[in-house]
Parts: sequence; C-alpha cells; structure tokens
Amino acid sequence: MSVARERYDAVVVGAGHNGLVAASYLAKAGLRTLVLERRGRAGGPLATEEVAPGVRAPVAADCVGGLRDDVVRDLGLGPHGFRAIEPDVTAFAPSADGPGLTLWRDPVRTAIELRAGTQPRDADAFVAFDRRIRSLGAFLARVQATEPPDLASPSLADATGGLTVLNGLRHLGKEQLRDALRVLPMSVADFVGEAVEDEALRGVLAVRGIRYAAMGPRSAGTALNFLWDSASGGGAVGRTVFARGGPYSLAEALVASAQSNGAMIRCDADVAAIRTGRGSVDGVALASGEEIDAGIVVSNADPKQTLLRLVDPAEVGPTLGWRVEHIRTPGVVAKVTLVLEGLPAIGGVDDERLRGRIVIAPSLDDLERAFDDSKYGRISEHPYLEATIPTLSDPSLAPDGIHVITALLQYAPRRLSDADWDEAARDGVADLAVRTLEVYAPGIADKVVARHIVTPADLEREYGLTGGHPLHGEHALDQFFAWRPLLGHARYRLAGIRGLYMCGAGAHPGGGVTGGPGRNAARAVLADVRRARRRRTKRRARRADA
Amino acid sequence: MATSNHRTYDAVIIGGGHNGLVAAAYLARAGLKVVVLERRHVLGGAAVTEEVFPGFRFSVASYVVSLLRPEIVRELALPEHGLEILPLDGTFTPLDDDYLWRVNDHGRTVRELRRWSASDAEAYEEYGRLMFEMARFVKPILSMAPPDPGRLDPREWLPVARLARSFNGLSLEQRAVFIQLMTMSAADFLDQWFETDPLKATMSASGIIGTFQGIRSPGTAYVLLHHYMGEIDGVLRAWGIPRGGTGAVSEAIASAARSFGAEIRTETPVESFLTGGDEVTGAVTSAGDEVIGRVTLSSLDPQQTFVRLLPPGVLDGSFLEEVARYQYRGSSGKVNLALDGLPEFTCLPGVGDHLRGAISFSPGIDYMEQAYDDAKSGRFSRRPYIDMVIPTLVDPSMAPPGKHVMSCFVQYAPYHLAEGDEWDDGRRDAFGENVIDTIAERAPNIRELILHAQVLTPKDIEDRFGLTEGNIFQGELSLEQLFFNRPVPGWARYRTPLRNLWMCGSATHPGGGIMGASGRLAAFQVLRALRPKKAA
Repeated sequence: MSVARERYDAVVVGAGHNGLVAASYLAKAGLRTLVLERRGRAGGPLATEEVAPGVRAPVAADCVGGLRDDVVRDLGLGPHGFRAIEPDVTAFAPSADGPGLTLWRDPVRTAIELRAGTQPRDADAFVAFDRRIRSLGAFLARVQATEPPDLASPSLADATGGLTVLNGLRHLGKEQLRDALRVLPMSVADFVGEAVEDEALRGVLAVRGIRYAAMGPRSAGTALNFLWDSASGGGAVGRTVFARGGPYSLAEALVASAQSNGAMIRCDADVAAIRTGRGSVDGVALASGEEIDAGIVVSNADPKQTLLRLVDPAEVGPTLGWRVEHIRTPGVVAKVTLVLEGLPAIGGVDDERLRGRIVIAPSLDDLERAFDDSKYGRISEHPYLEATIPTLSDPSLAPDGIHVITALLQYAPRRLSDADWDEAARDGVADLAVRTLEVYAPGIADKVVARHIVTPADLEREYGLTGGHPLHGEHALDQFFAWRPLLGHARYRLAGIRGLYMCGAGAHPGGGVTGGPGRNAARAVLADVRRARRRRTKRRARRADA
Repeated sequence: MATSNHRTYDAVIIGGGHNGLVAAAYLARAGLKVVVLERRHVLGGAAVTEEVFPGFRFSVASYVVSLLRPEIVRELALPEHGLEILPLDGTFTPLDDDYLWRVNDHGRTVRELRRWSASDAEAYEEYGRLMFEMARFVKPILSMAPPDPGRLDPREWLPVARLARSFNGLSLEQRAVFIQLMTMSAADFLDQWFETDPLKATMSASGIIGTFQGIRSPGTAYVLLHHYMGEIDGVLRAWGIPRGGTGAVSEAIASAARSFGAEIRTETPVESFLTGGDEVTGAVTSAGDEVIGRVTLSSLDPQQTFVRLLPPGVLDGSFLEEVARYQYRGSSGKVNLALDGLPEFTCLPGVGDHLRGAISFSPGIDYMEQAYDDAKSGRFSRRPYIDMVIPTLVDPSMAPPGKHVMSCFVQYAPYHLAEGDEWDDGRRDAFGENVIDTIAERAPNIRELILHAQVLTPKDIEDRFGLTEGNIFQGELSLEQLFFNRPVPGWARYRTPLRNLWMCGSATHPGGGIMGASGRLAAFQVLRALRPKKAA
C-alpha cells in the first residue's frame, strides 16, 4: 500500500505506570516515542473509578509508597500534578479483644506504645529491628537501581554496577554483611520471629513478606520480599503513601510528563503482535490491522504475554519458549472496595489511627493457615486482609459522610479447585471481606451501600496480567534479580532480539508502584542507542578517512 | 588421684558418631594421638546397628547410604575394614489400586512411566541427563570448606572461584536450572517436567526428609540432586544398605581409625569441656576423668556443644545469641518392625522385587502437603509420608531365618506438639499405631506379621542420640543454615570462638546424611591450623 506508515524511534506497549515512566524517560532523551494502550485509559491498575455516584475510589493499587524519588524528580511529577500524602500512622492492626497495635511513621512513637502493651520487651527490640531494616533496605535500594549483571559474560558496565553493589556491601560492614547473607533466603516468619515476641506484632510485620505472593510466612524467601519492599524506606513497617485524588492522579501526572517530553499516547490501541525479522524488532501490528514501524519496542506487558503472545514463536525458539511458559504467575489476590455510609469504629480506635494500612493478620499461624487453604485451590477461610480508607486522608474522593474502604484479600487463588470465578465466587469473596471486617468493626456490614470487586480472574482479563498476578510473576527466590524473569533475560533486553525490551514488573526490581523497572529499562534502551550512535559515528569517520 | 586420670592427647573428639570417627581417623592418620569419647555403649551415633529384639538387628535411626564420600571410602580403605554396601534397587509407590515403580534399569522405568504419561516418560530421560550434569557441577561443594563472606582471604575463596569458573562452563539453560535448584520448591521444580501426581510426590519427597518443610516450600528442590550424587563403588545414582546395617559403616570407620592408632572409648559420657580463659583444653568425663588435648573436636550439635558442655560465661553473648537462633525443628520419627513374613500390597499382591527397594508412601502432592499442614499445627501427620525399606531382603543376616526387619522413616512428627500436648508414652503409642494404620491401608496383612515394634518419636531421637529436638541432621537444612551460614555466620570453617575447640558434626557444612564430609573437612582444617606450630 502506498500510504506511508507511521514510524517512531520507540514504541511502548502498554501504558501501565512503568510503561509511562519508560516512555517519559525515552522521550526526554529525544526519542520519538509512542505509547499504545489497549484499554480506554492509561495507568493500568492505577485506576480510580467511580464506584458509586460521586464516589471515586482506587479499585486495584491503592498506595504509591514505593514510588522512587528519582523518578518523581527526573520526570517532574510534582509540577505535573502528583501530590503524595503520607499519614502519620503507617499501619494499624486491630485486635478482636484488645486495643490493637498502631505502627507509626515514627518508630519511637511505636515503641512508646509497645512498652505499655503486653510485650514491653518488644519496644526496644522493635527499635533495633527497625534500624536494622533501614540499613539493609538502603543497601537493597542500590541493588534495585542497578541493572542486574550479566552472569555469562560480565562487561565493564557490569563491573561498575558490581562495584556499586560492593560499595553498598562495604557500607554494611562485616557483621551486617554476614547478617544480610543469612537473612535474605529466610522465611519472614523466622525473620520477624527472631526479632519480636508478640504474635500480633509478628503478624502485622510479616505481611509485607507475603503480600501478593503464593507463599505463606513460613516459606523461604519471604524475608527477601519483606526487605525488598523496605528498600523504599519506612523501616520495619514500610511506608504508606497515597496520591491525592487517588492513584489515577499519578497516572495522569505520568501521562502529562511523558507528553510534555514529547511522547505520544494512544489509548484503545490493542497491540496484537510485535513484528520481528532477522533477529530484530521492526515495529508492531495492532488488532485493527494497523502497523507501526519502530526499531525499538518496549513491552510493559508481562513476560509471558510478551514472549508467548506478542512475539513470533519462531523468533523465541522452543527452549526459551518452554522456559517462559514456566515463569510462575500464581495470582492469589482479590480486591474488595466498599462504599460506606459513615465509618464504623474499627478496632475501637479513632480515625487518626485508621489513616494508614489496616492490617488483619492476627498471628503468623493465622497467615500460614490462610495460605494453606490456597494450596488446595480454596479461598482462605480466614483471609489476611489489608485495607485502606483513602477518604480519611483525601476527602475530595467522596461526598461528606461517605467513606471508601478498599481491601486486599489474600489468599484468593486464580485457579479454584471446585469453582470458577463466576458471579457467585465474586460475591462470595466480597462477603468474606465484609465478614472479616465485621469482627473488628461491628456494624460495618449495615453501612455498605456499594461494593466493587476485582478477582484474580478480573486482573487477568481486565489488565492482561497472566495468572492474575499483580506483579507480572511471583516475587520469589527463583524469579529474582539476575534471573527475573529468567536468567539470561534479566537486563531488560529480551530473547536476544535486537530492539526488544521489557519495562514491566516482570523485570528487575519487580512489582509494586515503584517505576523502577520502567526507569531501569529506559536507561538500558538509551545505553544501547548511545552505543549504536557511537558505532555509527566511528564508521562514518573511518569512511571519511578512506 | 592416679595418673591415669590425666591423659594427654593431641586431639580429643567428643562423640563417636560417623563424623567424629571420620575426623578421628584422618587426624590419627596424620600422626596425631587421638581419643574418641562416646557416651553410649555402641559407636555410630545415629548410624548405628542394634539388636533391638533378640535375633532382630536394626539400623535404628539412619537406614540407607548413598552420599558417603567416595574419597573417604578410598582414603580410609573402608572396604578393607569390612564395609560392604548392598544395592537397594528402585522406589515403589503403592497407590489405592495402582502403583508407580521406578527401578535402576532405565528402560524399565521409562516403560513404566509411559503407562502413566507419554510425555513424562520422555521428560524423564532429559531430566535425568540434566540432573546428572548438575550433580557433577555441585559435587565439589561437598568437599569444600565454606569461605567467610566477612573476610576476603583469597585462600578461602579460591575453591569458590573455581566453582564460579565451572559455572560459566555450563550452558545458559543449565545455569538457570542450577539457580532454580537452589531456590525453588521440589514440587514447583518438578512441575516443569512432569504431570504424574504420584511421580512428582515421590520424587519431591526426598526434598523434605529431615526438614520441617513441605514439598511446596522454596529451597527443597536442591535435595533432588542427591539422588544423582550418590556413588557406591564408583557407580553413580545408587542407594544402598551396608551389610550389617548402617552401624557397619561406623564400625568400618572406627576400625580404620584404630588401625591408625586412635583410641576409642565407649560408655564415656562427657560432662563438660575443660577451659582456661578463651581456650578449651580437653574434656571432663562424667566419671570425673580429665582428658586433655591440644585440640578438642565436638561432633555434637551447637546446642550440646556450646550450651550443655560449656560452663556459662565462657562465650560472649552475641555468639550464644546466634547459637540460640540456630533452628533444629525435628520433624521425623522412626518405626522399626520385626516381622514374621513379608507384607503384601493390595495394589501389587505377592512377594516380588518391588519389596527390595524403597517403598514410598507418597501418593500425591496434596497428600504430602496435608501431612506437612498437620505438622505446622503441632501434631503428627494423620497420613504421614513413609519411606520404608526391608533390609532383610538384601541382607538376611539381620533377622532369624524366615523373619524380616522393616524400617519406616516417618514424616511428619514435629518435636514441638501443639500447646497442652507432649511426647509421652501415650503419644508415642498413638504415633506408632497411626503409622501401622497407614501401612495397613495399602498392605492389610501387616498387623498380623508384626512380632515387635520399636517406635522412635523426635523426643526419643533427642534422648537416645543426643540430637537436639530430634533433628536427624543436627539442625534444619534450610537455605539460611547452609554453606557459610552453617551453623553460625562467620563460623562455618569448623573453628569456634574458643581457641582449640572445633566442630566436626553434621551441624557444619555440608551437613546431614551419612556423608562423613564434615568430619573430613574439619580434620583437614585442624591439621592445617596445627601445622605451622609444628614447624616452629
């Protein structure tokens, strides 16, 4: 056909937050960049939806505490409208028969309250543990910002990356280094169990090790998940940060940043294939039949979508194809959002303590049992729940007197042994969430005026997350760092196909609203672009000489 | 006091388990004057043969051999000292009305698997080849003293560097598989190859033996390699039973040690170490004898070594904190049966070769996980995983003619029971009955065959063998307690914070099983430490 096809330097497939971060960096560096989004709106799970008339609520991701500072700075997200709200309270663990535990942003304040509690010895232990987590977290933050080394043929860049990590290790000191190497493969149950004694405190601390994971607190590697999450600060409890106006406002800021840097963003543009030829990428084909040329394609889709659905299997090859098929994506999370007419007393405390995450994880044993159910394809009888009430910190989300509580419910396995994720199962999971909350907030069931449910099946269908896994792949020791998603493909460049990159949570440093994979992927793309440019210049100079 | 109360040696070794004996043999071979002090009347620790009932001899605790380091067999000339290992062929998994039976004959196993799944049969070949390669790569780790990551001593790191180089010699896929083996659960790992439930359950069972983990727990895949690491008479991939039971291994090592001049004293329990400042100078027996040594090696676990045998105040608090942190978590028991005949399985009636190998009660992944779930709630598994062997079929000398002994390794039996419950006689009986019930479901004639039964709970294992919390490996083989973290980070090179006190038991790298590697590596470290002094 004679119609000139559009040509871009780089096409980003998917406008999730990492895709937008990557696009903004690429455009900022001068690449003609196009973002293609299947859905009608950018942001992926950073969705704020009208769940009842006049009530807007996050329905998938609710917190943005992991967002990297350098991403916020580099992309000017502040000037583009992103405002973080960080309440004084980070987490509250209600108790069915006591005052519950409040974990404040200020660990000293937490310690003071612990001292008055049932295990006063935990007060000092908590402060020491918090300090230890902060220093290990700071080290891991460096690791997260580096491109994983190429274990096969280490290059000079790897050596410098390695030096950064080593330097971080040196800062740790001998004892802490030994400590780190012992702690990383541990289970979070052992890790927090060593640190503090109170069962309720252990429970609320341990959840960061198992959140989104098809593992219980006794599974090896959950301590690493806990520490990985601590890289964004906040010590033993992590951070709780909201975006004013809901998580979608972060997506809007990212869109604005990318656009102001010159990137184009097209929604309702469903990429059906990433076109390749002779070992290189040459563009994408949309479901509509439209084709767009580009020498660089950056996929924000998960690795399985990217390599099994979008790229020609002949290009991937049978061995790699087999390995990709076995990337583990066992989704176990459902999200239940409730619109409430008035706020019941939760755990008998005032609103002040409810502004952070409300964590229902009474003990390590309870968490483990919740996990056990999921091993046999059952929804936990007594699930672990982590809820926020964004309307407390951000009244702009709902009319006066109306509140929204949005709860992550675990474990709700994507594959149920004796049911499908049909309407009955959806309602069942919402009822379960209400029932669980009712124990700590009597009367809450009567205040519910609307509810919104996202099941693992919805995550798969709506957001294209294979297996309904919000992190594009299990965060576990076997899918981590230099082998996330796979050994030999952890450096954002995929399958040895020139011009094909991955920028989503399936890549190091993994899932969560961090922008980390997007930023690191953009840096990898730009490094390759610069290298190619240098090579061209050299070639031209040689030709001129001749 | 008589002079015999003060005997002086170069090396005093506490505990006559197989690792203590191996260390003794190597030290004596190097010319040191060595004494081994064993609490019980028999040698071998958990690798012991005892005539529990008249005429019936049992490998009371540890019951098969595979990982015994071939260099130890060679260097100590163990066959000359009576070691003979009889092959144990195959694994038979009885099911409700079918079975899965794998044997050493590869062709037969593949045909059997084809009955279940054509793709599994095909994958089995590829899997075997791959695991064989992996085992070859991993094996040097078993003969390497772990380096201390807190120190960059090139001598310590050289073997690791060599390993890293051979890692780079592997293909990308092999490297990826290695990482998976070190990090995944056995069940997840096998899921990549196989679909047959009893096959996956039986293979992954080896990943949980002796640990408080389930086959779906990350970190259990690694042990799958052990099946491809075994080496008997230079033949790879074989499990065996020593003629005369596992005690015969200990006896052979003891005989080798004696031939090098080591003195071995049984029924000599040690009361405490002799200490002077930050130095250990020997041991005091419960009879009050002081046995003095230039060096003292403990083959006991850290709890026994640093808490029971050391007077308080000798060690600094931070090290003791680490020792307290070290996890034991005994999870298994043992039922030894004296039988009047052979059991008959409903799924494959008759007496056949299927009884000559291991018989594995592991019908499916969920069965195994449920067994683990029970243990997590502090009770023994209602339907446990059982690894059963009938040694008399390969070594008839273990029982009177026509009679048999049967050894059942049972998991899970947690050391710590749920609140309000403890391992008393009633619990032991209930545990034993439950095991026999489980067997009777698949081999109904078992009840009428039983002449005698010996039931060992984890508490019994602790009391009898001095293994804290009944952990058969002297401490959980979990990722954070392996290699340079075993038993305590910074103290993985067999040394301890006390001068002239060394560790040589399974609580040190590479740990459990009748391997002997810990004893050998510890002996080498001791000899190296003593050498410069000798020169001076």
